[in-house]
Amino acid sequence: MPAEVRQEQSPSNQTSLAMMQEPQEIVEETVTIEEDPGTPTSHVSVVTSDDGTTRRTETKVTKVVKTVTRRTYHPVVVSETLVGSKPATPTPGDSDSVTKMVKTVTTRTVRQVPLGPDGVPFPEGSSPLGSYTNSIDRRFMKNGERFSTPQATSTLTRSYNNYSDSYGETPEGPYRHYGLHDGYGDLPDSYGSLSRGVNYRPRYPYMASSGYRPENSYTLPIRKDDYSHVAQPQVPLGGTVDLNRSQPERFQAEPYGLEDDRRSLGPDDDEPYDLESDYSTANRRTVGGANHGRHMREPPRVRGGYEDPIEADLIDDRHPYMPNLYSAPLAQAELGSLASLDRMGPMGGRRSPSADSVRKDPRWRDPDLPEVIAMLGHPVDPVKSNAAAYLQHLCYENDKVKKEVRHLKGVPLLVGLLDHPRPEVHRKACGALRNISYGRDHDNKVAIKNCDGIPALIRLLRKTSDMEVRELVTGTLWNLSSYEPLKMVIINHGLQTLTNEVIIPHSGWEQEPNEDSKPRDAEWTTVFKNTSGCLRNVSSDGAEARRRLRECEGLVDALLHALQSAVGKKDMDNKSVENCVCIMRNLSYHVHKEVPGAEKFQEPSTNQAPGSVGPQRKKKDDAGCFGGKKTKEEWFNQGRKNGESEKSYDTLDLPKRTEPTKGFELLYQPEVVRLYLSLLTESQNYNTLEAAAGALQNLSAGQWTWSNYIRATVRKEKGLPILVELLRSDSDKVVRAVAIALRNLSMDRRNKDLIGSYAMRDLVSNLPSGQQRPAKNLEEDTVVAVLNTIHEIVTDSSENARSLIQAQAIEKLVAINRTSQSQRETKAASYVLQAVWSHKELRNSLAKDGWNKTHFQPTATSQAKGTRSNKPAYDDTTLPLMEKNQDGYSTIDQKDKDCKYKSGDVSSDLAEREPLKNDTNRKQFVRTNRPAVNLVDTCDVKPQPVDSWV
Amino acid sequence: MSFIPGQPVTAVVQRIEICKLRQCDNLILGFSIGGGIDQDPGQNPFSEDKTDKGIYVTRVSKGGPAEAAGLMIGDKIMQVNGWDMTMVTHDQARKRLTKKNEDVVRLLVTRKSLEDAVRNAMV
Repeated sequence: MPAEVRQEQSPSNQTSLAMMQEPQEIVEETVTIEEDPGTPTSHVSVVTSDDGTTRRTETKVTKVVKTVTRRTYHPVVVSETLVGSKPATPTPGDSDSVTKMVKTVTTRTVRQVPLGPDGVPFPEGSSPLGSYTNSIDRRFMKNGERFSTPQATSTLTRSYNNYSDSYGETPEGPYRHYGLHDGYGDLPDSYGSLSRGVNYRPRYPYMASSGYRPENSYTLPIRKDDYSHVAQPQVPLGGTVDLNRSQPERFQAEPYGLEDDRRSLGPDDDEPYDLESDYSTANRRTVGGANHGRHMREPPRVRGGYEDPIEADLIDDRHPYMPNLYSAPLAQAELGSLASLDRMGPMGGRRSPSADSVRKDPRWRDPDLPEVIAMLGHPVDPVKSNAAAYLQHLCYENDKVKKEVRHLKGVPLLVGLLDHPRPEVHRKACGALRNISYGRDHDNKVAIKNCDGIPALIRLLRKTSDMEVRELVTGTLWNLSSYEPLKMVIINHGLQTLTNEVIIPHSGWEQEPNEDSKPRDAEWTTVFKNTSGCLRNVSSDGAEARRRLRECEGLVDALLHALQSAVGKKDMDNKSVENCVCIMRNLSYHVHKEVPGAEKFQEPSTNQAPGSVGPQRKKKDDAGCFGGKKTKEEWFNQGRKNGESEKSYDTLDLPKRTEPTKGFELLYQPEVVRLYLSLLTESQNYNTLEAAAGALQNLSAGQWTWSNYIRATVRKEKGLPILVELLRSDSDKVVRAVAIALRNLSMDRRNKDLIGSYAMRDLVSNLPSGQQRPAKNLEEDTVVAVLNTIHEIVTDSSENARSLIQAQAIEKLVAINRTSQSQRETKAASYVLQAVWSHKELRNSLAKDGWNKTHFQPTATSQAKGTRSNKPAYDDTTLPLMEKNQDGYSTIDQKDKDCKYKSGDVSSDLAEREPLKNDTNRKQFVRTNRPAVNLVDTCDVKPQPVDSWV
Repeated sequence: MSFIPGQPVTAVVQRIEICKLRQCDNLILGFSIGGGIDQDPGQNPFSEDKTDKGIYVTRVSKGGPAEAAGLMIGDKIMQVNGWDMTMVTHDQARKRLTKKNEDVVRLLVTRKSLEDAVRNAMV
């Protein structure tokens, strides 16, 4: 019987647990805002938060929610597990054990899957539930004993906030307006099961509070007196208390902490905040703002609504710990912090107004921004850290507040706190800076730089071993690295530190490998991802930046090691790998001109690789095997067959190495070809594919010895079929990078023949037919790249020109030449046509097909003089176009770039600083800032619904 | 079925197992998907809740493997081989479905008629 009632995540919880990680990562990307705008994982940011503790906890909670949900069906098992798990929890902050425990729970549940459909709470369910409740309560008690109660409560609430929207809203008057949940009514069990998740929450406070305990002890004694000597004239007494008490709120803040849900908003370029409400993700925000407050105030509310009778018991049990049952001061504290959330709202522009109705108590008000900033200088450390955390919360995706913080000189204060000896202070300050540095308002980044924030961050990175702080530091640096003028500053201050502290240790590379031990694998930690993203951004800052990175000791070695381990583990789709490949590609750019001693390897300009002459006749024998099953072997064997000269070429020309290569020399050793080809074969990540193809493109460009080796090695490693297959990719930029790579590779005569006979059809199929774009809808740049590649391979090869004709390309070319809207396409098509016509021996057959000379002559518009002559500047095909702000090259978000570079002075500035581009390329370069039309992975919200056959 | 993306949801699901069909070099499933968190959910004609960014079956080819397996237009795909599909981008979903090294995909799908049936049965 096919229909079963199931929880959405239930069947294979292991996997869905794994999936949970994904959102997180994505969020992180977002963190690095400019970098990857695209991934709209809405709820994710709730899950992830700046504070490591929080994050872990939140994740855990989510998992737990799932698990617990299951309990509806198997109450007994779950509750057992939970109870059993209790021992693990008492270790405050030991999230790992908790998580593990959760996993256990999950697995068990999974086994019991075959349950009949019924959402109605089992009667038997109540007893196990009861025990469950008890256990929670006990734990909760512990909290109560150990920590000051308000905290416990507040933490509790906080967790509610994050998940509250998924719980059935109770029809309790004041909260009704939050009804996000219309759908839940349909299935009764959803209520029950979800609410169970709530039960679980108490664990959460436990961990969180442990971290804050010290602060709390401060907080209580401080009160107003303490506060009064700080410059806070307007804060009424109540306010003070409230400030001191507002720690809970700080917790609240954390979910916000991760700056970034921009991507979830999609087309936010113009008015991000206006758009928000239209997206479902906006809910999150509302929940964040309004619900926070609401829950803080009255956590019990959540439970009230559940129909499950057991829940009612729970509520009763819990009451002692609920804030509103406490004596007035506590409740007020909560109120105070609530209020603060709300009042900040207007300033931030966008907190949900609904929370106002809840909070009417006039005695409390929250600190306004100047007050919060003044508190950063408060003599008491916890106040500082709370203020910083609160700032982080306020800044969360609120450009206005960020700007104000800057104007109020908050940034230098925060940077100053980075050197504070107390971990919670520098951690919170760093979290705030991360949010402030996120966004396209570069003034904030500049402000951080101007008060020496970059060296301070680097210092902190060197000093701390706290993973969480390291994540924050590197995340902030990643954010900062998205702004061009800061790239060099980051390189100057942080390159070696980032390499030594993060890249090398996490890559698993060892300078002096221990003979006995197995080489270590790379660990794809958030810190590594952030750092590699940062370096990816800075690596696009021109020749000097490339030089510095190449010469940075251990960097190239470590990156290569990390990539090799990624290939070894077949784990190639993640962001870290993408970042690493992009760095490698950027560093491979212009190696033949830029690396020290490159002159020695330059070859005379006629670039026929030795041994590649005259295989043309052979090629014909093999024609047709391309695309067949044995393609790769054929190609390979062909190399063998006429390989007499070939072999001698290889052995002869590869320079003997006296010592192992290291450092930047690794970039262009033929060995890397295999690595890139593995990535091209295995990776599913378009950015990685593009970068790997781009690296080959870079390496195969130019006229030096190494590029000859690279071109030959690609062929020997059977890389050509791999590349040609990628011409069919859905991703515009992959097609483009591959096309240009093929063009560079075809400088090798043998490659040219092979590509001509086997790749022509795929190249041609990427061409639009006249006005009508093919399904792929490739960008102009890509079409031009393909045309240029075709031009390159038909020039001087009538054999290839014949394949072109056989691929029915002439019709398309003529159509492009005649009707394309794009001048560059027209021109490029016209060159190809001229090249075809120049093969006199083909004219007969062309005439038979009904073509005549006029079809092949340049049209009036494209007849610009001299164009022909600058055509063969193949050297410049070395991807110069991608050099700077091109998408693959830095992690900067395309949409961002659009507004950033296209309009601004920045773009001209950048262009000027890159003298190596020739003119056409520069044009291309600027154009590529347009978001690719059909790139699914950019996660742009598309106007047209996409629909793909699978 | 309404839900908040990423939040646990209870749904009535059906397991569907589709053996991919080899067509030339491609393995095909014979249906097409729409939706995803990167898509505009408002344009999804199949969802009841217009904020639902889930992956939906938009077309099923006649006589294809998906049709044979009982997949229907408008089905919401909850999981593919155990991977959650309720909070993925369109492309992630597509990739998940088109893994070259997997000949069989096991879907969990939900559709309105299933839920109605179950609800009626419970009443």
